[in-house]
Parts: sequence; C-alpha cells; structure tokens
Amino acid sequence: MKINQKKTSWLFAILFFIVIIVGIWDASALIYGLQRGSLYALIALPLAMVLGIMDILNLAHGELLTVGLYASYVLFINFSIDPLISTLPVFIFLVILGGIIYFLTIKKVLGEGHLPQLLLTFGISIMLIELIKIYWTTRPRNVYRAYASSSITIGNFRIGSYEFLYVFLAFAVFLLLKLFLKKTRLGQAVYAVGQNPRGAEIVGINVDLVYLFIFCLSSGILGLTAGVMLPRVSIFPLTGNPFSLISFALVAMAGMGSINGILLAGITLGIAEAVIQAIPGYGGWSDLVFFGVLIAVIMAKNIQEA
Amino acid sequence: MKKIIFYLFFVIMAATLPYYAGGYLLHVSTTILIFMSLSLSWDMMLRTGQLSFGNAGFFGLGAYASLISVSNLDIHPVLSLFFAAVFAAGVALVVGFAVLRLRKIYFAITTLALALVFEVIVMNLSDLTGGSSGRVLPQAIFGGNSVLIYWLILFITIIVILISELLNKSKTHYAINSIRNDEITARSSGINVFKYLVFVFVFTSAIQGIIGGVYTQQYAFVMPESTFSLDFLLLPIAMALVGGIYTTMGPILGAIFLGLISEYLKLIMPYGHLFIYGLIIVIVILFLPEGIYKVARKKYRNRKSQEVKLDASSEGK
Repeated sequence: MKINQKKTSWLFAILFFIVIIVGIWDASALIYGLQRGSLYALIALPLAMVLGIMDILNLAHGELLTVGLYASYVLFINFSIDPLISTLPVFIFLVILGGIIYFLTIKKVLGEGHLPQLLLTFGISIMLIELIKIYWTTRPRNVYRAYASSSITIGNFRIGSYEFLYVFLAFAVFLLLKLFLKKTRLGQAVYAVGQNPRGAEIVGINVDLVYLFIFCLSSGILGLTAGVMLPRVSIFPLTGNPFSLISFALVAMAGMGSINGILLAGITLGIAEAVIQAIPGYGGWSDLVFFGVLIAVIMAKNIQEA
Repeated sequence: MKKIIFYLFFVIMAATLPYYAGGYLLHVSTTILIFMSLSLSWDMMLRTGQLSFGNAGFFGLGAYASLISVSNLDIHPVLSLFFAAVFAAGVALVVGFAVLRLRKIYFAITTLALALVFEVIVMNLSDLTGGSSGRVLPQAIFGGNSVLIYWLILFITIIVILISELLNKSKTHYAINSIRNDEITARSSGINVFKYLVFVFVFTSAIQGIIGGVYTQQYAFVMPESTFSLDFLLLPIAMALVGGIYTTMGPILGAIFLGLISEYLKLIMPYGHLFIYGLIIVIVILFLPEGIYKVARKKYRNRKSQEVKLDASSEGK
C-alpha cells in the first residue's frame, strides 16, 4: 500500500472549495456532512486495506458491518449491554468471523484473478444477508439510547451532538493505523506485502499471516464502527449493503492505496450528500451522489491515463 | 443430423408442455425459462471477460418501460416488449460508453451500482412510476392466459438460446474469446475491443429488458423493491455458474436444475431461501469452477476414450 501525498492534493482543493461555498450558504449541512463523511471514511478504510494489500475487492464488506450491527443489537436486547460498551466484544467477534471467512474461502482464491474473487465475495454477501433474514426477518429494528439523540443548538439550527463521536473515532482510527504501519514490525511487513507480495515472501515475511491479519483487522474495525453506529440507525438485513458501493467510490476517489485520501474523500462525499439533501424537494436524489462521484472520478482518471 | 433431431425433440416437448402438464408445472416452467434467458444473457457478457452485475438493473428498466408504455401510451402489450428492449438497449448504449472503458473490478462494481441507481431514479420519478408503491396494470398480457404467456416466453427463450449459440459459433466468437483471454493481444491483432464490448453489452441488456417486460406483463405490476430485487441478479449468476460458464448448455442445464430446486426450497423455507444460492455460488467457485456441464462432458469423453483404448488393446491381442 503506497501512501501517496500527491494524489490527495487535488481532493484537498475540491474539499476546500466546497467547504467555503457551503459554509456561506448553509453551515448545518457542513457539520452534518462532516459527521456523515467521517462515518463513510471509517467504513471505507477496511475495504481500502483489503483492496490495497490483498488486491481483493470484498463485496461482502457491507454485510460484515450488518453482522456487526446485529451482534451489537443482540447484546443489547438479551444482555442489555450498551452498544458503546459492546463495541469490544463485537470487535472480537468480527475478528474471529473475518478469520473464519478468510480461512474457508478468501485464502483459496488469492491471486486467482478478479472473476472468482468477486463472485465468491458476492456469494458470501448473499449468504450473510439471507442468514440474517432467516433469524431476524426483514423487520427494521432500533435501539433507543437517550444520549444518542442529544443535540446542541448553535445560532438558529440544531445538530446532533452524538455524531461527533464518528468524527472523533474516524480520526482516532486513522491515526492509530498510520502509527501502527510506521512504527511496528508487523506494520512494516504489511507495507512490504502491499508493495510486492513476492518480494516480501523472499525476504522472509509470512505473507499468509499478514493477509490473515489484514482481513481480521478490517473486519474488526467494522465491528467497532457498528457498535458506535447502532444507536443512530435502524437496522435491517440490507442496512450495510449500500456501504460496499459507497466505500468503493471513496477508494476510487482517494486513489488505490491512499489512506489519507479516504478520510478526505469521505468528508467530501458526506458534505456533497448533505448539500443535495438540503435542497427542498430533491432530497431523494442524494443517494445518487456517490455514483455520480464514482463515475466522474473514474472518467477523469481514465482521461489522464489516456 | 442426430443432434438436430435431438434438439427438435426437446423443442417439441417444450412447446407441447401445456397439453400434458398441469397448471403448476406450467408455471414453474415459465419461471425457469425466464431465468434461463437472464442467465444466458449474463453469460454472454461474461464471455467477453467482463463480469457484469447489471442484469437486475436492465431487467427492472425493461419492466418499467413495458408497463408505462402499455398504461400511458396504450400500446399493445406484445409491442411494449419491443419498447422495453429498445429502451433498455438505449440506456445500455449510453451507460456502456462510460462503463465499458473500465475493466475488472471497476466495471463490476459500477454495474453493481446500476440497479441501485435505476431504483433511486424510479423512486424519485413518482409521477411516472408510482414511486415506492409501484403501479398496477388493469390486466395481464393475453388476459392472463398462462398457456399463451408460456409460449411467448418459450419463443423468446429459444431465440436467446439461438443467439447464444450463434455467438459461440460465428466469427464474432473468436474476437470475444480473444478479448477475454488477452485484451492487449486482441487489440494488437486489430480487434476493435470497445466496439465488441458495446455491442455485446447493448444486446444482452436488450434481452434483459425484454425479459423484464414479459415478467411485468405476466404479473401486471411493478414495484421498485421487487422489480429491482436481488433475485434477478443472483439466480441467473448461480445458474450459469452451476451449469458452466462460457457455454450455451451450461446456463440451460443450470436453470433447469436450480429452477426445480428453487421451487422446492420456496416450499420448505419461505424466508431466506436465497441463502442456498449464495452457498451454491461459493461452493461452485471453490470446488467446481468449471460447472457441471463441462465436468460431465469431460467424464463422458474420458470414458469414451478409455473404451476406445480397451477396444484397441483387446484387438491387439
């Protein structure tokens, strides 16, 4: 995984431009976008890690998040463990689940080309969705926590204060991950494998272990996010589904393998969505923003390459 | 010659099905044929080496185009199928010019987003599409006569099978295979890769559009949730994979096999029976990447060649 500073610079420029315009027009959309965008970035980070280092696009990404949400929900309903506290057990649960999925399936299609990998993870995503449907049906479920619906009033608009936790968590996870990659031996090994798996293997790095670690960690981060998200979303089997696509859009925006870019891309997308949502009568179209961004970015890159 | 008689026999058997089969079997066969066409159309796109997840999207577009043209423009339901095909093909042409410049995961994920994108558009154009509650037709095609519907779908499916076979036998198939195997080599041998990709993408989308139209005319309603459902993406893929990709026979066998299983599964587990399809995809990818048709054919050929060998050795004595 290459951390490329140059690639993110144009994103910075776009973000800066949007922030100024939106800030003048509607400041609440700005804050809302920041909160939502941090969440997007937090969810996209694991996908980017798996894609950047293992070269696998995990279509079951969003479903792992859904599993995390339901795990947290079950802990709350049956043992009345607060979602924020349950982040730890859910993190461990998803690390183990990620390990199982890796050993049973992903490991066998490593380096086999994108076709079996995509179809395999697509199959896994369907299996997870349907398993959840069998146990919990498609009925939406909510977890109410008083602290999650608190809000603060600035000037003449109100914004949710709980969502600032997303921003905090996103920056914390990003910082920790960067520290880990730079300072620890395992982190350096991850770097090496991301750049050249064969070369890494020759110099004695256990590539298989690195892959396992990355897959488990990325799955675990989703568990962490799920616990924090739970009080603010209503969950149903397809809750996580769109996040696979959105996460990929962010990775494409940031450029493959760029960690810094993802946070920026997430916030940019979040603000763009919030702006569309704020336009009266056209709020329903905000779900398409990520697709527009994805197409625009891919087209722009294509032209550059050609 | 033997083969042609063999195929003719099957076509006649299929065409006369309404005379000897009951209503339930007829209904099951209709559904199987619908999924067979979808599965073949998905496989035809895959033969170019591009994994498309766009079936469900174009299926839904065709469904809406057909329904709207019947109820708003008052044209004949059968004619509306052509409209559905043309509409889906037109959208595919526009979308294709953008997404077909992409490869591998980029192409796959953009087409995966298509169904979602079309669904959001349909939900937001509620004046025309009825929004999230959908729209209903006053009556199904042919007044709901299930035999005529079956024949119509059979006719379309046979055409799709012929197209698929033509694609595997004609000169185009060399171009398509070479694009799949090595695009750079294909390009340097003078194949206009983009042109072929657009061509295949557009006509497979047209097939998906027609099928969407037929499906809607059969049930006389559209609803975003059920029209853009994952079923129309997942089942065709599972069928083609089980039967064997890159062949005509594979998706046909897969559709019959999984179609029959699916009816049984619906009875024993009404909720979440798609789980089995996810499992089937995973198992096929991991353990049987060639599909049953190719494996069976290989086994058959091996046995035949062994028999020949045995004959030869016994003659030698």
